[in-house]
Amino acid sequence: MSRQATIVVTGLGMLTPIGTGREQFWNALVGGRSGIGPVKSFDTSNYSVHLGAEIQDFQPQNYVSELAPESIGRSSQLAIAAARLALSDASLDLNKIDLERAGVCVGTTSGEPHFIERFDDHYVQGNLANVGEEFITRYPCHVVAGHVAGELGFGGETMMIATACAAGNYAIARACDLLSAGKAEAMLAGGADSFSRITYTGFARLGAIAPEVCQPFDRKRKGMVPGEGAAMLLLETKEQAIARGARIYCEIGGYGLSCDAHHMTAAHPEGQGAVRAMRMALEQSGITPEDVDYISAHGTGTPTNDRLETIAVKRTFGSQAYKIPISSVKSMLGHTMGAASAIEAAVCALTIERGEIPPTMNWHEQDPECDLDYVPNVARQHKVRVAMNNAYAFGGTNSSLVLRECMA
Amino acid sequence: MKRRVAITGMGVISSLGNSSAELHSALCKGDTGLHKIEGEAFHGFQCRQSGNLLSFQPETFLQGKPLRSLDRTGRMVAAAATLALANSGWSRETLSQRDVGLVLGTMFGSVHTISEFDRRALVEGPAYASPLDFANTVINAAAGQAAIWHNLRGINSTIACGAASGLAALSYAADLVRYGRQTAVLAGGADEFCFESFCGFERARLLCAAADDGEFAIPFDARRTGFALAEAAALLMLEEWEAAQARGARIMGEIVGHGSAYNPMRRRQNGGSNAIARAIRAATEDAEVSPAEIACVSASANGSTVIDKEEAVALKAVFNGKGSQIPVTSIKSMLGETLGASGAVQAIDLIESLSNGVLPGCLGLDKTEADMPDLDLCREPRKLQAGCGLGLVNSVGFDGHACALLVART
Repeated sequence: MSRQATIVVTGLGMLTPIGTGREQFWNALVGGRSGIGPVKSFDTSNYSVHLGAEIQDFQPQNYVSELAPESIGRSSQLAIAAARLALSDASLDLNKIDLERAGVCVGTTSGEPHFIERFDDHYVQGNLANVGEEFITRYPCHVVAGHVAGELGFGGETMMIATACAAGNYAIARACDLLSAGKAEAMLAGGADSFSRITYTGFARLGAIAPEVCQPFDRKRKGMVPGEGAAMLLLETKEQAIARGARIYCEIGGYGLSCDAHHMTAAHPEGQGAVRAMRMALEQSGITPEDVDYISAHGTGTPTNDRLETIAVKRTFGSQAYKIPISSVKSMLGHTMGAASAIEAAVCALTIERGEIPPTMNWHEQDPECDLDYVPNVARQHKVRVAMNNAYAFGGTNSSLVLRECMA
Repeated sequence: MKRRVAITGMGVISSLGNSSAELHSALCKGDTGLHKIEGEAFHGFQCRQSGNLLSFQPETFLQGKPLRSLDRTGRMVAAAATLALANSGWSRETLSQRDVGLVLGTMFGSVHTISEFDRRALVEGPAYASPLDFANTVINAAAGQAAIWHNLRGINSTIACGAASGLAALSYAADLVRYGRQTAVLAGGADEFCFESFCGFERARLLCAAADDGEFAIPFDARRTGFALAEAAALLMLEEWEAAQARGARIMGEIVGHGSAYNPMRRRQNGGSNAIARAIRAATEDAEVSPAEIACVSASANGSTVIDKEEAVALKAVFNGKGSQIPVTSIKSMLGETLGASGAVQAIDLIESLSNGVLPGCLGLDKTEADMPDLDLCREPRKLQAGCGLGLVNSVGFDGHACALLVART
């Protein structure tokens, strides 16, 4: 698969349960810090589980200046903050680009769930009269990308990609295609989700939430931990990045997207869709399994996900699978939903830049069905030229993104 | 290398028919899918008009498997997919041999399912929330359900750009085909009519308000006060041109270009027409045609007081004084605002219009306000001049999104 132009990552911005901004986030990540604790944003006393991964002490007014911070939802605030951090990280002077050719692509699971939750509170209390215009002006998920563009004055193609927990990868893939087709000269792409009662209730009801600890790929793993977060990557053509003297983290090698067409919430038992996505990503990037130095796993920590993901990696990579370090940062961050694969794409970019791989924390006992190298508990020095970022979602949607070292 | 994008099939579930021919014929007759809103829940609202489907029977289109796990939006999308797949000549067997993608545009997914799931947990306790409903609370649920139903294993994506979602999804899917990512993709949009979205739009004063002399959800009309909320699902089969020919598909049209833009100033109430014009110009550049080659326009206008005029100003600007010679219609005058479906429904009808040589009129349109730009707004169905081959579909969202798509007759 030929691209007209090579697309590179020149800026990273993230807000996560373990830290905000590149350095704070990275230090927490390689230090194995946990962002998981008792849920604070709503009362979980009538739930059987209580763990969540929330961002503490977020101050939207530090990032949101053109729009009124209180006039937009938390996902929008987080997305704007991540966008501002990414722009500043990229040292991109907005006066020097054509803002009408700068766009925004944000992935999400729930958009701005707090506004439908407030609607429902009013509904069950018989107070629908209290629903005001803010429900429709702040709730529909497209407003998140719109608010980022509005805050920054971007007038290019701006959209939400709502492919749930794989959405960050989908958004980055779309942004790359727009850039390589010459339809934009700068794209902010990533994902955002805020902590949602609806999401929490659903995963609790599915019995998917870990009661005590998130331990992906461990034999005794009991589940995932819902979280919140946002990450944005500044993407541009390699040619433009070099011309403006930008620091380049890596290039986007290619992507693979597919659908299991099997079940809404359970992955295909043989990992068929995931395998197709990984193969498509390898093919599009013009690389073989031997070229991959690191896999950022979807690794939610549920018994089924981690087992099937391991099967899919083995089917794709064969014996090579045992030689590739794989880690799940969700062991520390929880599952930040639509933001997850965007945050994990940023992790891949940083592993390439720094030659270090973050660990899968809380891994103690090998599961005979999960027998790969999950980089347990301690970060590892390891040269990464090519990283693969895997993410899967409800609806049977699969995504694999290849990020690789950018050769001058 | 850019590949050509063939339209090989169309499927639509609408208040004016469940095939493109039926829909086009109803629109040309001036039938309306709008009616007085029913149901106690809607008492006390100012708007009294809606365009919900009165007779949608999912079992007609979805047979052989239990429907229980699909919500209304999922059923509408899966049904539209049944029609589009049949119309383009894909069978269960051929679908098992190739990976066909699905790109769906939607504004809400199902806000009704989301809300109901949450309310049940609030009233009865989280232990009583329905796991089946939870699967449908993700915004990409309908795309996932339709993929499962029809065994669509290719790229599966859901795009949200408000009322421009359907056209944004078609643009995305067209790019997947053009740049070789996928050879066949079903693309379009859907949104259901439900209490939650109706209540929201009403509170934001965006719906048409009942007055003594009627309700005027009439695009471009001086009496307009807002839109009528409606529902639909519409999907087009987009295929790489040569692959479509190789499998002997009937090619009914072509997507020749698209453009998108955003108005970052929308919260300051200006710049709307500029973004709409930029999207249209981007589409003409993408298609390498001049605006003068456009033979007819299916406008986004839905009766909104501000946005209808912004669109007219944009069309006037793009056509550079020649706007009074290019017929413009809005089928939302008959279908209402179907949100994520709207752009895809417009695309389907414009393909029909170009092949049949007749563009539906804008039902009910009488006078426009004095400062409405001078456009050739069709009040009656219009016979298109022989040789008319290129049509513009326009979509404008409520929050600054603008999307334009150029389709050609074959």
